[in-house]
Amino acid sequence: MNKVLLMGQPNVGKSVFFNRLAGTSVAESNYPGTTVDYTIGHMRVDGRDVEIIDVPGTFSLQPKDRAEDVAVRMLEEATDALVVCVIDATKMERGLYQALEIIEKGYPVVIALNMWDMAKKANVKIDTQKLEQILGVPVVPTVAPRGEGFKELVSRMKEVTPVEIEGISSRAGDSVRTQ
Amino acid sequence: MTRKLSEMDYDQKGIVVRIEKSLRGQLAGMGIREGKKIKMLTKQPIKGPVVVTVDRSNTSLGLGLADKIVVLVEE
Repeated sequence: MNKVLLMGQPNVGKSVFFNRLAGTSVAESNYPGTTVDYTIGHMRVDGRDVEIIDVPGTFSLQPKDRAEDVAVRMLEEATDALVVCVIDATKMERGLYQALEIIEKGYPVVIALNMWDMAKKANVKIDTQKLEQILGVPVVPTVAPRGEGFKELVSRMKEVTPVEIEGISSRAGDSVRTQ
Repeated sequence: MTRKLSEMDYDQKGIVVRIEKSLRGQLAGMGIREGKKIKMLTKQPIKGPVVVTVDRSNTSLGLGLADKIVVLVEE
């Protein structure tokens, strides 16, 4: 892993997230041949310096506009990247849909359930341990503006490996049956 | 009674019953899939987009998309 991609739907707090993780030396550039821009910076994972990219927000991996097309291309080009899927914890379903799309493509993924405080306020209850067990990837609650959960997020980046989508669906099936 | 999403009235609620196959992936990313509760919020004039509420969040859809979604409307 030599790159971290921050991916998620529009308005989930990706950029605040990026600013937290990337610190100061940050560059903004255009994706070649387009007017879509993205931000790139550096962070330390496991004592190593890695690139971190704030990918434009996209609803799914089936692009329907320029920015989404760039997001998908950036993902496809970064074959050895780790992907941090930022999900709005109050809008879990569509966020998880996208995270699963990315997992299915074979990327190592860490899921950040951002806006955890808002979800609590809205009385959304999420069993993160169960989610982790089903998905097989780290699931970390975060509150980006306050930096909550970031230490755990970064430390858990070390442990991730790609998971098989078939495994997820069979584990999900099991948990649905037992409940 | 079923209706196209594009033909629903303001504030009308319903459950999505059918989505054209080619659009399913794209719409799932917006939180819309078959079986989902949906509420019409606004329709913009001159063939503008419709805004619907799904899972407490508002999403706007082009009229072309809304034409291809069938909803079982609450009476």
